[in-house]
Amino acid sequence: MNEQPKSDRPTTRRTFLRNGARIAAMTGLGALAGVVANRSTAEGWVWQIDPQKCLRCGNCATKCVLEQSAVKCVHAFAMCGYCNLCTGYFEPEPNALTTAAENQLCPTGAIQRSFIEDPYYEYKIDEQLCIGCAKCVEGCSRFGNGSLFLQIRHDRCVHCNECAIARTCPGDAFRRVPASQPYLLKTTHAH
Amino acid sequence: MKREFQLASRRKFFSQTAGAMAILGAIALQRGQAAEKAATNPFAYDVSHLQKTDPKLITYEETARWKAPHAEAKRIAIGPEDTLYLCSGNYLTARNRSGDRGLEIALAEPSRCCAVEKDGTIYLGLRDHIEVFDAKGQRKATWDSPGKKSWITGMATTENEVYAADAGNRVILRYDKSGKLVRRIGEKDKERNIPGFIIPSPFFDVEVSRDGLLRVNNPGRHRMELYTADGDFEGSWGSASMGIKGFCGCCNPINLALLPDGRFVTCEKGLPRVKVYRTDGQFESVVAGVESFVANGKACGPSDCTAGGLDAAVDAQGRIYILDLVTGDVRVMKHRA
Repeated sequence: MNEQPKSDRPTTRRTFLRNGARIAAMTGLGALAGVVANRSTAEGWVWQIDPQKCLRCGNCATKCVLEQSAVKCVHAFAMCGYCNLCTGYFEPEPNALTTAAENQLCPTGAIQRSFIEDPYYEYKIDEQLCIGCAKCVEGCSRFGNGSLFLQIRHDRCVHCNECAIARTCPGDAFRRVPASQPYLLKTTHAH
Repeated sequence: MKREFQLASRRKFFSQTAGAMAILGAIALQRGQAAEKAATNPFAYDVSHLQKTDPKLITYEETARWKAPHAEAKRIAIGPEDTLYLCSGNYLTARNRSGDRGLEIALAEPSRCCAVEKDGTIYLGLRDHIEVFDAKGQRKATWDSPGKKSWITGMATTENEVYAADAGNRVILRYDKSGKLVRRIGEKDKERNIPGFIIPSPFFDVEVSRDGLLRVNNPGRHRMELYTADGDFEGSWGSASMGIKGFCGCCNPINLALLPDGRFVTCEKGLPRVKVYRTDGQFESVVAGVESFVANGKACGPSDCTAGGLDAAVDAQGRIYILDLVTGDVRVMKHRA
C-alpha cells in the first residue's frame, strides 16, 4: 500500500483564517446547542440555598438582582429553643432583654418577639422587612441551635439563569433543586 | 554563546499573544470573583471583642496539662486524697495527685458523670441509671433507672445522700445510699415558688455546699439556683449576657464546682470560659478565658451544640481542674500568688 507523502507546503494565511473561522463557528454552534439543551432540561429546577453550607456572609442581601433580595430568613419552629436570650434576636451585649430597638440585632427590625410562657419567647420573621443579611442566622448558629436560616423565596425570585448571589457565594451554598421541592428546610434537632 | 534576536512569524506572534491574553484574563476573572467573595460583610455579627479576656481579670495560671486517657471525655470529679476521676468513653479512670494513672473501670456504655465518697466508693452516672463501685472498682450495685427520658449528667454526694442531675427529666434526684429515691427536687411548682429547670442541651449539674444547700445550674435561665435537701427553693443569682460578668448564649452555665470556701466555679460553652463567682453571686475573676479554648469555641455550632463545653473540679487545695470536652485536655489551674 502506498502512503501519501505529507505535504511540506506551509499553511497559507488564508487557510489559517478559514480554519480559524470554521472552528469558531463550530464552537459557537456547540455552545448555543448546549445552552438550548440546558434550558430545556433546567425547566422545573430552581435555585436554593443549602443551609448546611451557608456561611452567613451577607452577600444574599447585597448581590441579588432585585432591589430587595429574594433571600429571606426562615425559622424552623420545631428546632427553636424559644430562648429568653435569643442570640439571633439580641445584640451580643444588650442593655436589657427587651424589644427596645437598641437591643435588637436585626438591622431592619424584622424579627418579632412575643411572650409565650415563662421563660419562653417566640420569634417570627417579618418577610416584608427581612433583607436576607443573615446577621440573625449567624447569631443563632453560633450560640443557639441554628433554627434561623436563609432560603430563597420563590414568590420573589425571578429565577435568573445564573443567580447573581450564587456566583459570589463563598460557601457554594447555592444549588439547583426541583421546582416541585423548592426549599431545603432544616427539620431535625441536633440533640 | 551569543543569541541572535529573531523576529517571530506572524502566526506564532498571534498564537502567543492570544495564549497570554487568555491566561491573564482567566487570572483576572478568578481574582475578581475571589475578591467579590471575600468582600467585607457589612452585616457581620462581631463578637471578636468577647473572645479576648482582659488580662487583669485572669487570676489563675496553668501549672500542668494532660490528655484524657480516652476519647469522648465528659466529666471530672475529685475523690479522696485529691484523686481525679475522669469519665471518658466507656471508662472511668482515676489519676492521683502526681498525675499517675490508677484505677480504671471499663463499662458497657459511656460514663457520663461521677461522684466519689471519702472511702473511695464511686457513684457513677450512666445515661439513664447509676452504678455503685467500691474503691477497688468492684461493682456493688446497679440502681433502677428513674425514668425513660433520664439523662444523668451530674452527681454529688453527702454523708447520707446521693444527688443526681437528670437533664432528660429536668429534675434533681435525691437518693439514700441504698439507692432508694427519696425526693425529686426542682420540678416546676407554682405553689412552692419553684420556677423549674430549663435544660435546652444535656448539661445539668449539682453540687452540695458545706452549708448543706444544693447548688444547681439552670442554664435556660442563665443562673445558679439554691435548694434545700427537701427541695425548697432558696434563691438564685446570675444574668444573661455575652459580657464577662454574665452567662452567654442560649444556655449557660453548663457545669459548676465549688471552691473550699464556697465560691462558685462556673463553666460555659459557646464562649468557652471558666469563671469564679463569690458566694453571693458577684463576679470575681476568670480562671481561663475564651482564648484558652480555641477548638472548643469552634465546636459548638448549629449542627451540634452538645459538642463543645467544659467541666471543672476543685481539690482540697483550691486548685481548679478544667476538662476541655473537645480536645480532652485536663488543665490544672492554680491561683496566682
